[in-house]
This record gives sequence, C-alpha cells and structure tokens, in this order.
Amino acid sequence: MAECCCGSDNPISLLYACSGAANTGYLADNVARALASRGLGKMTCLAAVGAGLSGFVESAKGAGENLVIDGCPVACGRKVFENLGIPFRHFVTTDYGVEKGRTEITARLIDRTADSLAKELAHGCDCAAG
Amino acid sequence: MTIQILGTGCPKCRQLEANAREALASMSLEATVEKVTDLDAIMDMGVMMTPGLAVDGVVKSTAKVLGKDEIVRILQGGK
Repeated sequence: MAECCCGSDNPISLLYACSGAANTGYLADNVARALASRGLGKMTCLAAVGAGLSGFVESAKGAGENLVIDGCPVACGRKVFENLGIPFRHFVTTDYGVEKGRTEITARLIDRTADSLAKELAHGCDCAAG
Repeated sequence: MTIQILGTGCPKCRQLEANAREALASMSLEATVEKVTDLDAIMDMGVMMTPGLAVDGVVKSTAKVLGKDEIVRILQGGK
C-alpha cells in the first residue's frame, strides 16, 4: 500500500529482496516479507528498480531508507542500487549461516534470519555510498 | 502533455497540484492536469509514497511537494 507523506517528515523505509531462483533468493524474499509484517518497512519490487521503471526508482530516491536483502554474494540488489547511485543498507542471507543450494529454508530459519536483520536494523545506519 | 498528481487528496497533494498549475501558467504551456487518487493505480506506477508527480506517464518525483520552479525545470526537460 502506498503511504501518504502528509503530515510526516519521516519517509518510510522500503524493503527489496533478491528474486533469484536459489534457496537463498527464496529466503531473502521471505525475510523481507517477515520484516514488512513486523512494520520495519514496505516491500517493493527490486526487479522494477533494476528495470528502471520511473515510479519505483523515484520511490527509492524518496525513501527514508532502502533495505536491500540479497540472497548470495552475487549481490544483484546491491549492484542495482550502486548503478543508480541511490543510498541503501545491504544484507546478504549467506552472512547468516545459510549455504546457497544446500540449506533447507524452513519457517524457523526465516524467523531466525528476520530476527537477526531486525536487530541490525535497530542499530545505526551504515548506508552504502550512493 | 499530461501531468498526473498522484495522491489521495491530502493537503500536500492539493498543494502539488496548485504548484503544477502555477508552473504551467508561468510557461504558458497547455497541458492536462489529472489527479490519480486510486491507490491501486498509484501502486501500479511504483509510487510507494505520495504525493507524486508524473509527466506523460513518467514519474518524476515522490514523497515531496515540488515547488513551482522545480516543476518548471522538470517540464523544461531537466530534473
């Protein structure tokens, strides 16, 4: 759901997840959904930003924070934001004990990874340079 | 030329519309100003934070009330 900025000087955070085919992409997507359901941001489409669709790109530019969750070190999400020069915070699911192509993605793992990211989000911003 | 004001009708959206009309008048430019208030339509354009402004279907800004001069620059082809 789009957010009205009327009366607010604090734009919302936007969540972007890897849409890759591997287990790690599946985890990234589910973790982003979990964080959104916890109210830590609104989920929107990384692929649309990568495609350069104007509304998605402008929303990223106007967001309070862009939280990019990549599945693996290929880091497509990071590269999308770097190419556009838009600041973002970056997370990779393989940094949380997940092995690409091997680890089974369970509801428990999704919760545990979302917990870890939520803790990091609660700490200060170390936004990647735009 | 079509200018779309994306938002549900809050004061900031109305201010953006007024600024857009002022920008058009200052340039003596003919354009249709259209208000898009349906949230699904706004989301389909990728706009996550309103108010937004689009020119001929291309979103130029979100989450801010552009001033008249900023809108003039956009309409002149700048950003």
